[in-house]
Amino acid sequence: MAKINNKRGLEMSFAWIFAIVVGAVIIFLAIYSTTRLIDTEKTTQNTEIGKEIGILLTPVETNLESGKAAIIKMPVETRIFNECKKLQGEVFGKQDISVSTKSNIGKEWESSGIASSFQNKYIFSGDVIEGKEFRIFTKPFEMPFKIADLTFIWSSNEEYCFINPTREIERDILDLELQGMEIVEDISLCSVNSKKVCFTRSGCDIDVDVNSQSVKKKKRTESVFYEDELIFGAILSDLENYECQVKRLMARDSELSSITISKSLFLSSKGCGSERLQPLLGSLSNKTLEIKSSLELREISNLAENIRRENDNLGCRLF
Amino acid sequence: MQIVLNEMIYKKAQIKIQQTGSLLIYQLSEIKNRRGQLKIQQMAFVLVALMIFFGLVSLIYFRLRVSNIEDSAVNLKDEEAKELVRKLSGSAEFAFTSEDCSNCIDFDKVLILSERKSYEGFWNLKHLEIQKVYPESEGICNRQNYPKCDTLKIIDSGENTGAITSSFVSLCRWESGKGEGYYKCEIGRILASGEGI
Repeated sequence: MAKINNKRGLEMSFAWIFAIVVGAVIIFLAIYSTTRLIDTEKTTQNTEIGKEIGILLTPVETNLESGKAAIIKMPVETRIFNECKKLQGEVFGKQDISVSTKSNIGKEWESSGIASSFQNKYIFSGDVIEGKEFRIFTKPFEMPFKIADLTFIWSSNEEYCFINPTREIERDILDLELQGMEIVEDISLCSVNSKKVCFTRSGCDIDVDVNSQSVKKKKRTESVFYEDELIFGAILSDLENYECQVKRLMARDSELSSITISKSLFLSSKGCGSERLQPLLGSLSNKTLEIKSSLELREISNLAENIRRENDNLGCRLF
Repeated sequence: MQIVLNEMIYKKAQIKIQQTGSLLIYQLSEIKNRRGQLKIQQMAFVLVALMIFFGLVSLIYFRLRVSNIEDSAVNLKDEEAKELVRKLSGSAEFAFTSEDCSNCIDFDKVLILSERKSYEGFWNLKHLEIQKVYPESEGICNRQNYPKCDTLKIIDSGENTGAITSSFVSLCRWESGKGEGYYKCEIGRILASGEGI
């Protein structure tokens, strides 16, 4: 009763109220700025890792070799975001790589760092690859001359089971001892969690039609078309990424064709007659520049094969 | 009469006491207010000092952090240039593919390449040039003096190029002979410096 009638309440001097308010503001600011600082640090770190991964891919590129393989090991679980960009007006398009690392504090996956752009790289993989270990495999792509090195990336969490693959694919997998890729004769021999890649039958995770040179994935209705080494790209990467990389590769092919025409004109005055290649190269340059989808690869490949044959017959070969 | 006078004196005295009391109370409260004001002033000064201290600490921290980031950006840029220079002779625009030749550059093709603007920014390089080491010659290469020249500039931003990395290569080109022509290879090197991230 006495307590109820006590109307004095809690008496506080102005100094106390002021100290509490200011103290709360200071503590809030400290926590907020620390959180922001940690976020910024993580973004910086992820940006650096992204750039380093891009740099690490350069030594894996080929010179005279027919292929190369490597492994990148990360200290923590990492997500690599692979984005291909080919905007109108851009000649070669861009390969963006950004990285996000797993954290034990706060959010499980930090926001990815600022993407590092490379115009001279062509990475074929899923849009997001996650793991602690990444397998890398490069192959030179020629049409009819070397255009670029194709880089294929998959993580240690992914397994691919090739059922009755072509001899070329079998040779690449066995010669380079590619980990996470097994070759079997029957689908029942594949490990349970692996992605089944079928060459002689359909209904698998990935169906390859060797006759039409196309690849179809289980959840997609569309197929993508390949030539030579691009088959690995068609198997490993997502449809949008694959089509974008094909366009970028063809844009580079177009530029290289036009350089080769200029070289032919330049050398013709030096007694290197290669004039009959010039219209063919001109046609290749135009066709590769205007490519809409991988469906047109077969036609371009035939033209490239003609150019290769003509070049081999020359006294001074252009390439 | 005396009684009335005494009462008046008493009342006057009471009023005086009351006046003195209220004056004392007023003076006391004024002293308290002054003390309070002093305390607030002290607190404000401490707060300002704290803010300045934290401001200075964060300034020093950010300066150090920015310089660290700049250092790592420079390192990454140099590392990229180093790796690229080692592999450039194998890239499609440089590779001499008429014969099987490792580390050989098609000098004729690179001369054409140096005239094309589309390759600016293609390799993330600030500076890229090819120098002929042997046989010695002079001058910047162009169509008029080629192949009797020394340096072929492919990317030249004109700015401070920073640390330059180099790698020795063979410079191969088509040479017209008396009868049939032939491929001639000379010693050269690629020089490059990277562009920041």
